[in-house]
Amino acid sequence: MRNISAAKDSVARITPEGGELRPFVFTPQWTPQAQFAGYYVAKELGFYHEAGLDVTIEHPNATYSAISRIRNSESDATTLQLVQALEIIDNGIPMVNTLQTSMNNGMALVSRNNENPLTQHGARVGIWSAGFDQIPICMNIKEELGYKWIRIASNINPFLVGAVDIICVMTYNEYNLLKQAGIELNDENTFKFKDSDYNIQEDGVYMKRDNYLQHQKEAEAFAQASRKGWEWSKAHKEEALEIVMQYVAKENIATNRVIQRLMLEEIIHLQLDQKTGEQPFTLRRDMVESAVNILHENGLIQHEIDYEELIP
Amino acid sequence: MFAAAIFIISVGYMFSESREAVRNEAISHATEVLNSTALRVNNILENVEIATRNIDWLVGRHLDAPDSMFVYSRRILVNNPYLDGCSIAFEPYYFKEKGQYFSAFSLNENGTITTVQEGSNMYQYFYMDWYLLPRMMNKPVWTEPFNDYNPESIASSQTITSYTKPLTDKNGDIVGVISVDLALEWLSQTISSVKPYPNSYSIMLGRSGTFFVHPDSTMRSKQTIFTETMEKPNPKLTALGKAMLAGEEGMMELKMDGRDSYVFYKPLGNTGWSTAIVCPESDIFGGYNRLLNVVIILIIIGLLLMLLAFSRIFTHMLQPLSQLAKQAETIASGKFDENLPVTDRIDEIGKLSNSFRYMQTSLVNYIDELTRTTANKERIEGELRIAHDIQMGMIPRIFPAFPERDDIDIYASMTPAKEVGGDLYDFFIQNDKLYYCIGDVSGKGIPASLFMAVTRNLFRVVAQQELPPAEIARQINDTLSEDNDQGMFVTMFIGVINLKTGQMSYCNCGHNPPVIEGEFMQMEANVPMGLFTGFEFTDESIDNVENKMILLYTDGLNEAENEEHEQYGDDRLLAYMQQHANTAKTTINDLLESVAQHVAGAEPSDDLTMLCFKLHPIAN
Repeated sequence: MRNISAAKDSVARITPEGGELRPFVFTPQWTPQAQFAGYYVAKELGFYHEAGLDVTIEHPNATYSAISRIRNSESDATTLQLVQALEIIDNGIPMVNTLQTSMNNGMALVSRNNENPLTQHGARVGIWSAGFDQIPICMNIKEELGYKWIRIASNINPFLVGAVDIICVMTYNEYNLLKQAGIELNDENTFKFKDSDYNIQEDGVYMKRDNYLQHQKEAEAFAQASRKGWEWSKAHKEEALEIVMQYVAKENIATNRVIQRLMLEEIIHLQLDQKTGEQPFTLRRDMVESAVNILHENGLIQHEIDYEELIP
Repeated sequence: MFAAAIFIISVGYMFSESREAVRNEAISHATEVLNSTALRVNNILENVEIATRNIDWLVGRHLDAPDSMFVYSRRILVNNPYLDGCSIAFEPYYFKEKGQYFSAFSLNENGTITTVQEGSNMYQYFYMDWYLLPRMMNKPVWTEPFNDYNPESIASSQTITSYTKPLTDKNGDIVGVISVDLALEWLSQTISSVKPYPNSYSIMLGRSGTFFVHPDSTMRSKQTIFTETMEKPNPKLTALGKAMLAGEEGMMELKMDGRDSYVFYKPLGNTGWSTAIVCPESDIFGGYNRLLNVVIILIIIGLLLMLLAFSRIFTHMLQPLSQLAKQAETIASGKFDENLPVTDRIDEIGKLSNSFRYMQTSLVNYIDELTRTTANKERIEGELRIAHDIQMGMIPRIFPAFPERDDIDIYASMTPAKEVGGDLYDFFIQNDKLYYCIGDVSGKGIPASLFMAVTRNLFRVVAQQELPPAEIARQINDTLSEDNDQGMFVTMFIGVINLKTGQMSYCNCGHNPPVIEGEFMQMEANVPMGLFTGFEFTDESIDNVENKMILLYTDGLNEAENEEHEQYGDDRLLAYMQQHANTAKTTINDLLESVAQHVAGAEPSDDLTMLCFKLHPIAN
């Protein structure tokens, strides 16, 4: 494995004219994991420094969520799923997308019974109490699946015990936890949203619009350097993983290298355009419109939000 | 080699049997330890279940008094000081006055019990495992070990597991959940405390396969038994994990942490968890393997020494043998004077060596002996051949004998049985008288030939005095009888023919009667010469033998035997003479052939001599 500090040293630290670094606080959606590798890499390899920023990465905790920090202006930027952002905008807080990383939907439904989850009408479906349920809820209504939604904690225990028939997972997270528990996942018992009509992109970097307008330069700089961080991660997966593990160890997160490696690989995989195989880092108009339609149809948002409302 | 093979087989058998015994003993021991551990853990778990059941009953009867829940949640901790906490939680708005969240929670922190209502927007317990699972399953459930966290109230600082039961009202509807918490430490201590072997360790897996007890703290709660197989497939490890999670009990042999190990596993109570003891093979077979290695080394050294010793002994033994073998070959090839080594060994090799030398000496002597004897024999044979020639030279052999005369047709042949014989014949003409004789000395070979020589010379000398046959016989007899210690004798027929008149006088001395004109001559037998000194022999006479074929012979003719010992016989002889008498030469040659046909290749038993003559008609 390459020496990370050597990698850091190899990146020339250029201070911008004027010499001073502007502060910027970033709070990812969750506690340290490979889902946020690009940002950790950008910080550790000095991409933010190069861009004239002194970035602090503050993770959320059980008392203080990421969106709360944004609302309270304690953090400048966070990561949100597109549908989350739409809901927040619908609730009256204008948000702007400065960098779209995810190009594909990372959710999946896994069935206990080795059946196609879409055929299990009326099944008990475990879904996170913390949210991220918009698209499955809409699909359930639209396809008339009759699912009974059971809000569960963010673990796979209810599925293992049999308290639910189907569980909603992220292909980069709980999906791998199921495998790690010895569950066999195959085309029979797994339905991936990215292979369906509901392939709505997810993670992107968001700021409150007014904060963005006040600190446009920093916002752009942060977005560019973060993008660079993600591009570097795609090309140097093992080194990026090493950086992630350092963040994980600092917070003593209950995970392991194998799970983090799988997460990193899947996150980067979801960042690729399905046709070109490149990382476009683009918020797609068609996906935005599709998301707005689905959410509006099923009453999750009241207003039909325009694509332009999301972009700077 | 053979001894080594037997030894190795027996030692090998003993080792494999004792290995089996060691293995079985280890299995038995570890299984016992595992069983007793599981028993103790199950005991603890049962105690929690019993305590919960007791409170559960009480709670069920007081569903109208929500504040009593605080009392009960506290009381269970008071009665069971090893418990960590207890929640009695209710469905949203079950007690309307209590609002959406109502959960009476007591926490035992080092003996201090604190009781609070723990539910809030920040602690929405409805979706937590400890509330959700029993409610969904409608039966008691042990939760996976977890770390509770309540941002607005108290929570345990330990990793805990909860035994949770649904609370039902009189109608059987679920109204809430009672959850009793146990610190994982209780279980992990019990599980880890016993080590059947120095390097063995215990693990415990939760329902997800997560290690909740593991000697390596970096694995605890962070990895499952399947984690490493996701990157490096390991069918045996996967099988072990699956068996444990399926609640099976048993033993597997596989590599754990790179070491060959025996893993003994057993499920724990109703939890859905499983515990296992990992025993490295090196521990179980440590002592045995050390012993085995030592013994193997000893055997190898022993065998090498044995090999060395034996090879030296064999060389010591075999080297002289192979040397002797080479020298035997040399001697056999004809070099008899090859020097054999002298040895002072008194063992079998020494004896063999000495025997060899003795044999070589004997052989050399024998060969010498043989050589001399052969030389002698050749010399004697040479002398015999000369003797033969001398003997043949004594008798008239040139025919026609009297080429200048045409009055007598005479032929003779003598065939000794050996180189020299005892037969003789002789004839000569003196003053128109033919003196002849045929004789047969007793015996055969050299003695007979010597006697024959003497006899023949005597005949010549005496007969040349022109004496009558009887007188010739008398003189020869007297001379022969003197100094005849050997007792040898000679039969003889002596005759004189007056070639002018045709008159023949003769004297027989014990000899075969001649054949005249196909008939045996009539005569006195008398006696052979050499035996009786002074014997008076008598003459006999035939007036005229003109044109009469006369054959004289020795008994080698009529007594000639074939292979079946049948003799030629007098009858055949006479028959032959009556039919075939032609010239003297043809008569004799044809007779020889006839005899040869009869004898048909058998060894001649006697000398065969014939003298044949015919007096031609006298011209007046």
